[in-house]
Amino acid sequence: MKKILFALAFAFFAMTGYQSFAQEPELSPERKHDIDSLALEKVRDLSKYVKIVGSKDTPWSEANRVIDRAEELFAPDAEIGVSSLAKTKIEYYKVRQYLERLMRLNYDRVEIDWYKIQYVSDLQRQPDGTYVGVITVFQTFKGYDAEGRLVYQDTTKKDITVYVKRKETQIGGRLIGFWDVMLGDMRVKETALK
Amino acid sequence: MKKTVKNILVIAMVTLVTLVGVTSCKSSGKMTKKEYKARVEQAMTDLTAIIDGTTEWSCDEQQARLDKIKEVDFSKKNPEIVEMIDRAQSVVTACKEEMARIAEEQRIAEERRLREMEEMNKPKTSIDEYLNRIAGARDVNAANSLIREALGLFSSPDVPVLILINKYGDYDRPTTAEQYLNYVKDQKKAGAKVNNIKMENGKITELELIIKK
Repeated sequence: MKKILFALAFAFFAMTGYQSFAQEPELSPERKHDIDSLALEKVRDLSKYVKIVGSKDTPWSEANRVIDRAEELFAPDAEIGVSSLAKTKIEYYKVRQYLERLMRLNYDRVEIDWYKIQYVSDLQRQPDGTYVGVITVFQTFKGYDAEGRLVYQDTTKKDITVYVKRKETQIGGRLIGFWDVMLGDMRVKETALK
Repeated sequence: MKKTVKNILVIAMVTLVTLVGVTSCKSSGKMTKKEYKARVEQAMTDLTAIIDGTTEWSCDEQQARLDKIKEVDFSKKNPEIVEMIDRAQSVVTACKEEMARIAEEQRIAEERRLREMEEMNKPKTSIDEYLNRIAGARDVNAANSLIREALGLFSSPDVPVLILINKYGDYDRPTTAEQYLNYVKDQKKAGAKVNNIKMENGKITELELIIKK
């Protein structure tokens, strides 16, 4: 009897899961590729924002504006991991908190570069229609003192979860369907001196 | 006295009969010699003026005059008028063709004027050009100056900007004119080009871009 009930429950959940999955048709490979690229582009946008916020040449008002834009890239409550060669523990901060700390770092000059921005896990469609994937980035950080001496540097590998969901909004009396890309937590995978 | 009255009555009768006779001749469509002569003279004058181009009548007025002249049959007594009618008709036909050509030229000129007015209402510098210039600005101040200039083309900084990521109608998250121009400045890249512009009173009210591939 238990086995029958289990089988029925399994069949029910499998069917309801299938139904929500089937609400929207599967994307063509070409459209899927465009959405992959869109999500990757958001991470590249973030890399520019991090560079601008970290730069000591950026005017305060500009940095704050960029922090607003960067924060909009993330899902609410997303966190960013911070590592250091001096510490073993990885600290996690809310996005705004991370960016504001970055803006105030105690160096006279900061250089931040992201490279090898690529998918480690392709966007996969979830039962609720959201596409979820993981993008990895390598970040080099260099901090200089007033004399222009390099006082700290590291390279960190970070994984960012990306969520892409189909949404709709009214614009000029028209209903516009768009793909909303949201970045999730940015987890530190490894930190090395390079 | 009686004789005088009788004479007056006779004269009055003769006058009346004469007048009635003339009127009846006219209403029957026949023409007196005098009338015909007058028509010939008038026709010669009008036709000469039309042929020589010395009239100030419009083409339509000339054609109406010509049609009136053609109502009388001059072929028996004045064949030269018939010949003049043919020449005058050629002149009037040419006049009408010339008027049609002028009207067509005026129509084309008016179309051009309207196009030019439309062009004048369009942004002097295209949005695509601004995007490229903002992306390539030498520094933040230069980029901000270009953004202020570009925003003048929009009805407000909050004008919606839609970004198509492909030709299948897939959009990125909508943004505003001000935010998109700043985005181009931050990224130093104009990754999208204009796909459609909605305008009102010479200002952009909605901008649709498409990602360059």
